[in-house]
Amino acid sequence: MKLIEALEAVKRTPQHQSAVLQVHLACGFTPLHFLTFLDAHLRHQFPDRKVVVRTGLFGDLAGNLERLENEPFSAVAAVMEWPDLDPRLGIRRLGGWGPGQLHDLIGNVRDQAARISDILERIGRKGAVALALPTLPLPPLALTPTWQSSSFENHLREAVASFAAQVSGFQGVRIVSSQRLDQLSPPSARFDVKSEVNTGFPYSISHADVLAGLMARIIRNRLPKKGLITDLDDTLWKGILGEDNVEGIAWDLDHYAQAHGLYQQLLASLAEAGILIAIASKNDPALVEEAFQRAKPILPRERIFPLEAGWGAKSESVSRILQAWNIGADSVVFVDDNPLDLAEVKAAHPEIQCLAFPRDDESSAYQLLQDLRDLFGKQSISGEDAIRLESLRASRVAAEATRSQGTSPEHFLQQAEGKLTLSFAKDSPDPRALELINKTNQFNLNGKRHTEASWNEYLSDIKAFLLLASYEDKFGPLGKIAVVAGRQEETRLWIDRWVMSCRAFSRRIEHGCLLYLFRKFNAEEATFDFVATTRNGPLQDFFAGLMGKPPSGAFSISRWLAEEKCPKVYAQIQEHPRE
Amino acid sequence: MNDVQERLIKCFLAVFPQMGRQEVSSASMETVEAWDSVATITLVTVIEEEFGIQFGTDALERLVSFHSIIEYLQELTKAREAGGSA
Repeated sequence: MKLIEALEAVKRTPQHQSAVLQVHLACGFTPLHFLTFLDAHLRHQFPDRKVVVRTGLFGDLAGNLERLENEPFSAVAAVMEWPDLDPRLGIRRLGGWGPGQLHDLIGNVRDQAARISDILERIGRKGAVALALPTLPLPPLALTPTWQSSSFENHLREAVASFAAQVSGFQGVRIVSSQRLDQLSPPSARFDVKSEVNTGFPYSISHADVLAGLMARIIRNRLPKKGLITDLDDTLWKGILGEDNVEGIAWDLDHYAQAHGLYQQLLASLAEAGILIAIASKNDPALVEEAFQRAKPILPRERIFPLEAGWGAKSESVSRILQAWNIGADSVVFVDDNPLDLAEVKAAHPEIQCLAFPRDDESSAYQLLQDLRDLFGKQSISGEDAIRLESLRASRVAAEATRSQGTSPEHFLQQAEGKLTLSFAKDSPDPRALELINKTNQFNLNGKRHTEASWNEYLSDIKAFLLLASYEDKFGPLGKIAVVAGRQEETRLWIDRWVMSCRAFSRRIEHGCLLYLFRKFNAEEATFDFVATTRNGPLQDFFAGLMGKPPSGAFSISRWLAEEKCPKVYAQIQEHPRE
Repeated sequence: MNDVQERLIKCFLAVFPQMGRQEVSSASMETVEAWDSVATITLVTVIEEEFGIQFGTDALERLVSFHSIIEYLQELTKAREAGGSA
């Protein structure tokens, strides 16, 4: 983006009356064009928000961060450069570069890094902090020629690396990848000495643009895709199983098939992190099973669900997989080497992201791995990630058992030995609650999302309550699958958020939650901040079951109606003791 | 209106979004309230980007109005052409 384009974007974007995204830019330099680029990129990332970017005082990064402890914000963009750790590491101050000062300088950098670390730990609890570590070169103050890395320089970099390792573990703090920054903004083209000397703004225009773009992405914290559907032949492995047989497929260096091995390795890693992996392949199902048994790919058979092998159209296999996963097509990536199959799937499921597996092109295959990591990247692995696949499998087993035994859903629930555990802890809210609110679409009261800051602010209301529900039955645990957030005013409950994972449908968990809320808070009526979305049909069906028709806007339900209309909940309900 | 003027007007309108198109040709630091030191730096950078040039530090003192910037850009163009044909 050119500066004039950023200025146009900031000018053009309508400041409509939507929720405000208040971002604080904390830096020690004159923010100038970086502020413009950050504003423009944030508007691009948050088209439905009114973006407001505020700045602090020149030359005082730590102070600017410290002051945020008492100020409201949605997110912070903290940009650290060497002079923020010691002004002698910049070119606007003349504090001396003498050899005798270097030792003191290292100590000073460590002290300042420790101070900033303490502040980040505190403000990270309030909301998201995107942090950029020093991106500019060190000035020529070490004794060695510039082509040699000095002990002084290495001690400085060690101090920053230790700082980064520490703060990256803090809640809310996310660091800009220096590797990605190096790819997009070559280090030699970042520092604008003339601008730094004359105006206190140290970045070249292109560097300001790239860094602001990455920080806006970090603040956006896009939800990762949930599932990947892959082809087999010349994709998961090299070779055509139907022609080459099990002996003829490969994914290693010896067979010039390393790209396929790396692809499998990445998929196995994604599966371990809770991403759903399925196969859609035009192949003989028995032969595919044999290939997994005998050839033992890096991506093991047990990590794949479902495996769709047959001779029908790929789009039909994809439809069945989406049904088994019960997730939207827009959360799914499809990888295949065949352009025709990619086009056919894209035509049938336009929301799926279709990616080509490059044939005999290691560089492009490596790029694909990076693209997949970007699409599926997440902050951490939750307990739910670990059990997602098993609970989906268990759901299918349960559904098949009901069908094959001819038992009714009523009978199935009766003998499922369900256990619904409800937690009301809101002081240190489980991050899973916010994750569910921000990723659930189908059973979602109104589609409203939260940033970490707005979520914490919402829960800080003394009248606010938070219900986080976990469920398990004899088919296995589903984990933490539902969230209700609201406020109590005497005998009325105001339900502001209600989401439930699609994995938890058909177990009457929603009925159990509603009835328990009435009982726990001794409430007589509940008012729901309902908004119809294009995807919350299952939630509308639930309320239609209680009220006789789907809701059309905010509405209330009495305790009497809930108790009258809710079917019997067989799951044993227990409240989790407060920690 | 020539191409240089048109491109410069675009730069002014990007930096001073409140300014009407008719006001640009008479704009100067004295007449435009929003034209402060930060706006000067932004304007200089946008013009440098648009025209693929670098202003010298001494030139900044001359960039005080639309008119003076046009003059400077025309001088620069002539100097370039003279250098190119030499």
